[in-house]
Amino acid sequence: MEAYKIKNIAGQLAKSFLSNPLTPVLAVAILLLGYISLEVMPREEDPQIEVSGGSVIVAIPGATPSEINNVVIKPLERRIREIKGVEHVYSTAMNNFGMVNVQYYIGENRESSNLKLYDKVMQNMDQLPAGTMPPLVKPFDIDIDIPILTVAFYKIDNTPNRPEEISKLYKLIRDLQQNINALDNVSKTTLKGVKRPQFNVLIDLHKLSGYHLSLGQVAKAIKSISSNAPQIDTVSGSGKLVVFGVKNAIDDIDDLKELIVAQYMGSPIYLKNIAKVEYHFDIQNYRTAFITYQEGQKEAEYTENEKKEQEEKGLVFRDAGHQITMTVSKLKGTNAVHIAEAAIEEIQAAKKELLDHGIGFIVTRNYGERANEAVNELVHHLVITIFIIALILIPFLGWRESLVVTIAVPMILATTLFIALMTDQTINRITLFAFLLSLGLIVDDAIIVIENIHRRLHLKESEGLEFDEIIIQATDEIGPSTNIATIAIMLTMIPMAFVGGMMGQFMKPIPLNVPVALAVSLFVAYVFAPYLARKFIKFEKHESHEADVPEKVKELSEELDVKEEGRQ
Amino acid sequence: MEKIVYKILSTKRNKFIVIMIVLMAMGASVMMIPTKLILARMLPGKSANTFTIYVDTATNASIKETKMVTSCIVDIMTKEKEVTDMEVFLGQGAPLDYAGLVKGSALKSLKNQAEIVINLTDKHGRDEPSFAMVHRIRPIINEACGSLVENTSIRFTEMPSGPPTLATIVVELYGKNDEVLRETAINVAAILAETDGLVDIDIMQDDLYTKYDLVPDKEKIIRSGLSVDQVNQIIYLAFQGMPIAVKNTHNQQDQIPIFLRLDDKTRTVDFHTKEALLNKLSSLKLMNAKGMMVPLSEIIQLEAQLSSPTIFRKNLKNMVTITAECDMVSQVYPLLESRDKMIEKLWKKYEVTKKPGIDTFMFDLNLVDRKTGTKILLRWDGEMKVSLDTFRDLGGAFISALVLMFLLMVVYYKSFALSGIVLIGSFLSIVGVIAGHWVADKFSLFMTDVNFFLTATSLIGFISLMGISARSSLLLIDFAMSLIADTGMEKKRAIAIATATRAKPIMLTAVAIILGSLLLATDPIFGGLGVALIFGSMATTLVSLFFIPVLMDNARALMPDEYFMNQIKVKKGTWCVIADNVKSLFPPYKMRK
Repeated sequence: MEAYKIKNIAGQLAKSFLSNPLTPVLAVAILLLGYISLEVMPREEDPQIEVSGGSVIVAIPGATPSEINNVVIKPLERRIREIKGVEHVYSTAMNNFGMVNVQYYIGENRESSNLKLYDKVMQNMDQLPAGTMPPLVKPFDIDIDIPILTVAFYKIDNTPNRPEEISKLYKLIRDLQQNINALDNVSKTTLKGVKRPQFNVLIDLHKLSGYHLSLGQVAKAIKSISSNAPQIDTVSGSGKLVVFGVKNAIDDIDDLKELIVAQYMGSPIYLKNIAKVEYHFDIQNYRTAFITYQEGQKEAEYTENEKKEQEEKGLVFRDAGHQITMTVSKLKGTNAVHIAEAAIEEIQAAKKELLDHGIGFIVTRNYGERANEAVNELVHHLVITIFIIALILIPFLGWRESLVVTIAVPMILATTLFIALMTDQTINRITLFAFLLSLGLIVDDAIIVIENIHRRLHLKESEGLEFDEIIIQATDEIGPSTNIATIAIMLTMIPMAFVGGMMGQFMKPIPLNVPVALAVSLFVAYVFAPYLARKFIKFEKHESHEADVPEKVKELSEELDVKEEGRQ
Repeated sequence: MEKIVYKILSTKRNKFIVIMIVLMAMGASVMMIPTKLILARMLPGKSANTFTIYVDTATNASIKETKMVTSCIVDIMTKEKEVTDMEVFLGQGAPLDYAGLVKGSALKSLKNQAEIVINLTDKHGRDEPSFAMVHRIRPIINEACGSLVENTSIRFTEMPSGPPTLATIVVELYGKNDEVLRETAINVAAILAETDGLVDIDIMQDDLYTKYDLVPDKEKIIRSGLSVDQVNQIIYLAFQGMPIAVKNTHNQQDQIPIFLRLDDKTRTVDFHTKEALLNKLSSLKLMNAKGMMVPLSEIIQLEAQLSSPTIFRKNLKNMVTITAECDMVSQVYPLLESRDKMIEKLWKKYEVTKKPGIDTFMFDLNLVDRKTGTKILLRWDGEMKVSLDTFRDLGGAFISALVLMFLLMVVYYKSFALSGIVLIGSFLSIVGVIAGHWVADKFSLFMTDVNFFLTATSLIGFISLMGISARSSLLLIDFAMSLIADTGMEKKRAIAIATATRAKPIMLTAVAIILGSLLLATDPIFGGLGVALIFGSMATTLVSLFFIPVLMDNARALMPDEYFMNQIKVKKGTWCVIADNVKSLFPPYKMRK
């Protein structure tokens, strides 16, 4: 019999790796890289959608909507339309101000889009109508604007808010915010529902007219004593610096109360005579936040008995009144899981101090935890699915062959994951769905190779051949059609990358990862499947297998025998 | 196996029967879509651990009124045991999320706006999915709290399972005349409200309300030694108040402002009437340069007027937006229903014409007022537009995938007929995809009373199935061809043997896909993909084992031609001639070496 000539890349690969000592090293290295990638890659729940846009806000005090529309909005819209890549321009003309929201096509580069918008507005500054305040350009940024963690701080006891407490609470949380901002990869933290301390002077209109005073007078009187002046320095005779300055005349609430506003019939009128003066929070700010929570839900320290009591009591919701919500966002491409963990740790560390001041907190949003859960759940699904497939292959191929397939699959996934890490992708729901989807496709190549090796081992034709030789020939034989079939599947997935809009961006991990996984599956099927087959599958130098060869295979082999004879 | 296939192939009648069965199955399954046995939808709902309630009261509502509505909602929600905590954000949006990003949550700053974040217990330990809870609670809350303050709209916003949109159904009315737009918007909203399955209908425009203009009497102002500027400032200071000075402190990060305003008792106007306001203003006095006190009411006149509403524009045209959400149903059918109703009801007032042609704006209507001739464009946007865009793009992807595959096959086989067979085989997986969705829908309705929709992910499944079924057909054709070429076997027999031999790997890979997709099918979003893969690969297996052989038998190209046969004789000992041919055609293979 003439020596077998390898015709396909499949056989080449199989041959060069079959008895190569580096093959197992490579295999282990791939699995390790995959595992590291799984741990290192930034995790998030939904894939990044690059949305660029921003708003331009122009204020003209006292203008009506239709004025704003004609004077500001229309010219501004026309200018913004000149920018390339703008999909929609939304504008609103309200009393006193107008706003133009610009939305770029999905996928436009964010930095250059922001720059273009800013540039366009700045270029046309000279065309702004008189009385206009300088326009405000605010680009929006998903990463920075969508917080991954929100924590609500509230008072534990039901006492009414005393002004000192409000400022203390505010200060405490401000400090905490500072600490969290100092953590790595935290980009922006904000406080919502904040009440700032303030001196309120609430004037009684009747008393005012009773003393024949005008509002302007009162305002002037307060202004005149509360000015802040910079420090002054001069030099002493001996050349030393002497620093001094005028202190703000208002030091505390009593200074304000005792302020003489005017003289009436010879006697002084104090501010406290005509107004209620208090140290309180900013009452003009109507933006408030409240919290109501179910007691016993979030507190894990409850013992079994207490829990039971809780259940008997039924639903107990506590209206904790005012709250301050702290939001934490992350930088782009960083791991939400780690940042959320670090921030919560920071808050937990301050827990005792907060409790001392009667402040409790509830984590009201944790995208890090959710992303982690989603990813872990899907990884779990992947593992289960691999095992189910392996089990089902046993009756068809035998457990050794099935084991080969089971080992090949994680190697394919590991390589794909590593490539994803190298190409700056993140692990998210869609990436993992791409893996789940490709799972059904990538086992095929390995199955076909193993099945063919399995079949060839039982063929008469292989009699007298070395085990290695059979494996190489079997792999080589199915090479061309497997190549074509795999390329066909890759071709069906690739056009999906050209789907536009939000949905296209959302699904992008599928056309990015599935073809890669398929290409890798070919490689693994040609390199590692033969190697593993050599290690695992028991080979007996061919004796007669007639008895257990199935009917059709026997028939087929007879046919092949005929062919073989024809050749010789 | 071999016998069955051979039997089918041996008589014309049997072949005809197989073809007819396939054609009927194809027809029946495609018919399932227009007959609504299968409901199509972009993406299904997803159970989440949180949802947000948006509250918008009348444009001139006070913060107190808005708080009344939110407190009412919070009260009702405290009866739900799955709720862990609720955060009310008055006069501002809640911390931004994906849904809020496109719904303008970050821009909220008015007194009539509020958002309530409702956090629920973990979805794994909860029986009721969040969308079912919203479905149940929505009517209760709307009934109890919706009429506390006039013109209140309460909307429920769930975490979107895919990319977020402004609303599921968005109707945009474009026109030049604001009054006509306002009136039409109200009509359209009424029609949407009548449509089954549509909820949370909201017209995004300001309500008209009475406001009062203070008209300064120029002569009196100048004569009394005052200025308009002074009047403006004092009124603002008295009723709005402002920080007039600051005090620096040592122990705070911020300065402490000193805020001046009238106290609450004297600031409030007794009634919402012109007289009451004038009365109040008369007690506010201004001091002129000579130190004389002049009552404000002396130098101004009061005029009642309608408020000037905010003007919204999109792409340089005035626009009113009406939004609606779908209550656990697909958006397609309510949309079509309400559109038909609109054509019918708006007919009296407007000349309604449909937009000609097929594109992603194909549901648009052109309205022309019969009397005045004012033109209004009624455009459908929102999730429907995104769906149409996506389906269009996926359709395009699908067609280009078909073309690419066809070209690949033509290069491989050098025959259009064989490539056609592979293509037809791949296309037939649609039978399984649609039938599978019907089964899944019935099963899901039986188990959880929730519809199972044909979604965008089903389409992705369908596209990837094409590749899989192409692989099966390819293996079959390849094997049969090499049998004929190598052994000169009779065509029908060769096809039968090829089918029998290849049945095992074909079924094995199908089983692998089915099992691999089982867990996928239980996912709310990718369920469509899973179902498509499971039932699609079943159909594909049947098609490649019974239908493809019939087609192969009919194709002449399967038989090698004279020249080809001669070549085989020349190249004795070469195991796989076809592979050799392909190799010469595919430089990439050589390059890979």
